[in-house]
Amino acid sequence: MASDTATQNVGRITQVIGSTFDAQFDEDKLPDIYNAVEIDLGENGILTGEVQQHLGGGRIRCVALGSTDGMVRGQDCSDTGSPVSVPVGDATLGRVFNVLGKPVDGRGEVEAEGYRPIHQPAPIVTDLSTNTELFETGIKVIDLLTPFVRGGKAGLFGGAGLGKTVILTELIARIASSHGGYSVFAGVGERTREGTDLWLEMQEAKIGDTGRSVIEQTCMVFGQMNEPPGARLRVALSALTMAEHFRDSTGADTLLFVDNIFRFSQAGSEVSALLGRMPSAVGYQPTLATEMGALQERIASTKQGAITSVQAVYVPADDPTDPAPATAFGNLDAFLYLERNIASKGIYPAVDPLASSSRILDPQYVGDRHYQIARQVQTILQRYRELQDIIAILGVDELSEDDKMIVHRARRLERFLSQPFLVAEVFTGKPGEITPLEDTLRSFEEICNGKWDHLPEGAFMYVGSVDQAEEQAKKMAEG
Amino acid sequence: MANARALDKRRKSVRNIRKITRTMELIATARFKKAMDRATAATSYTKRITEVVASLAKSGTEVQHPLLEERTATDNAALIVLTSNRGLCGGYNGNIVRETMKHFDRLSETYDNTKLIVSGKRGITNLEFRGYSADESYTQFEDEPLFEEVKEIADSLLDEFIAGRLDRLDIAYTQFISSSKQVAVVETLLPLGSVGGADEESDDSGVDADFEFFPSAESILEEVVPMSFRINLFKCFLDAAVSEQIARMVAMKSATENADDMIRNLSMTYNRARQSQITGEIMEIIGGVEALKS
Repeated sequence: MASDTATQNVGRITQVIGSTFDAQFDEDKLPDIYNAVEIDLGENGILTGEVQQHLGGGRIRCVALGSTDGMVRGQDCSDTGSPVSVPVGDATLGRVFNVLGKPVDGRGEVEAEGYRPIHQPAPIVTDLSTNTELFETGIKVIDLLTPFVRGGKAGLFGGAGLGKTVILTELIARIASSHGGYSVFAGVGERTREGTDLWLEMQEAKIGDTGRSVIEQTCMVFGQMNEPPGARLRVALSALTMAEHFRDSTGADTLLFVDNIFRFSQAGSEVSALLGRMPSAVGYQPTLATEMGALQERIASTKQGAITSVQAVYVPADDPTDPAPATAFGNLDAFLYLERNIASKGIYPAVDPLASSSRILDPQYVGDRHYQIARQVQTILQRYRELQDIIAILGVDELSEDDKMIVHRARRLERFLSQPFLVAEVFTGKPGEITPLEDTLRSFEEICNGKWDHLPEGAFMYVGSVDQAEEQAKKMAEG
Repeated sequence: MANARALDKRRKSVRNIRKITRTMELIATARFKKAMDRATAATSYTKRITEVVASLAKSGTEVQHPLLEERTATDNAALIVLTSNRGLCGGYNGNIVRETMKHFDRLSETYDNTKLIVSGKRGITNLEFRGYSADESYTQFEDEPLFEEVKEIADSLLDEFIAGRLDRLDIAYTQFISSSKQVAVVETLLPLGSVGGADEESDDSGVDADFEFFPSAESILEEVVPMSFRINLFKCFLDAAVSEQIARMVAMKSATENADDMIRNLSMTYNRARQSQITGEIMEIIGGVEALKS
């Protein structure tokens, strides 16, 4: 980034609009689009901006990646000659960065083996890996209905307060702790507190029985709520760039967690109008799909290595047709839709078994048995949902005997989809359950076939396999 | 929330359901009045004739009648179940079926052969589903059971009983106590002696029960005892009919209320969705215009 002052290309700030600013350069020495420019703000440190547009007449329009406090017209603005570059490699492990790749954990400078620009082309078609393999999480509802793909992308969709972050942290606890490769966490526009909690948790959590903590294999990049839109817009790219390096150079399986990809779109919409683009549907930027596509396409598994990614996606006003989550949908292999009705019944994870699905829930990938069981569960729950209006009006007594049976089993299945989490142990007092896929399949199969019709509904709440439901029923019967 | 059209469609279908339940409620109310009149009319007659039989049995005359004898044999029993032909009457059928299953299992323990006689389509299918198939079934009884039809059944049962092919006859039906209370009960109809026990109290408080029998107590018994059985059975049918109408009335009333609630909630979400859709569109247009200006 640092370049020689003699050859440095310097311009002047001509306009500051919120978190964007214009600068005047020599017409023949314009900085390239996406180049980083730096402004020395004195006390306020150095502000980095990213060139977005060439306005003509030597003027450029930039997005500030930091606060524009204290900026005045006429200040010097120097071109760094390259896009924002972040440190990559083993030196980044165990560290916490901001959008610019500067460490923010107070442990001094990072001596990285190299830097890599955050703007990269997506891997080309012929390099992509075609391998499709199920990725077991030990969470019943995920393994059964929305199996994750190794080297694929999974999304957690949900409105405010449905537990997206909890599921994401749970997945980190489950996957990262048993996973040999690297993990990268991107905190995009969420609460800083959650990021800190996660960082502390990762220091305590151990990988398997190696005695090393999870953080030693993880790097974290944060651009949280309090930061200007430019930072939130680019932080996902910074994290992704680090993950890409692990994939390309080491070939190890890399995990990328993003919380929350919606904030990326939101940040884009915040700067879009300032950049002079005409707002599109629901006030989002017209380039919504382009931006999302450019990011998501880079999160890909190649022949060199795989990136398995789990992303939380906030759904504004619980409306999944909102353009931001809708654009994210199409890019994912598996998506979990969290539903408020289910959360309000006290069933966590509040995954809607009918709205969620996965690309590999297909006999070709998961096998006939798994597919049939999953479909049977969905059919029963679907029928239950259809009957709900009738039940609400006329009562259960008016249903036919077959429908009564379906309602009976559906209510048990619904509760059986809940599961105690490792990360929620401190709140619930129940130890987390890791249920092997085989147990999950057998349990659901038996419930669908009516083997456990005699157990009370409550017995199915927060257990692992169905055998535990039986034990719980016994305990309930004893009082 | 998002899709105003889907919400509107759902609201329409709930409205249609409400229309049906409301109509059913009105019909049930009308039928209930008629059935209730019939039942109350029959009540005093039934009561009186049961008293007569009871006092006859007690009068000390040496007469015996096969219907009054205690049976010790445990070969054959029968259970009549009165349910409705039509649904939409809440827990009416469900309650009887539950009682029936309990009682049928108990009867099967003591009696070698237990016959299940079911009236009403709902009961037939409901019991069938639970693995109790009816040996005999009737579906002709609606809200106004006719005495002639009941008599036919009663007579054939009487013949069986007298011939010794039947040792006990029970009935499961919904007893009509008042218009706000109906209970699913199981009673023993045959042998008649077991019914008499309940009526002894009314004997004490009742009017003078000193009858003179002419030409003889035997000939009266011969006539009155079977009649008492028929009437008692008929009364059960009447009670069941009234209870069914009440159950339907109550069920439909609450169904209509539930539908009303649902329509109200749906309307609210629909209006909200519609409004936010319009607001969204206006905002987009204004935003577009503003962006074009600058």
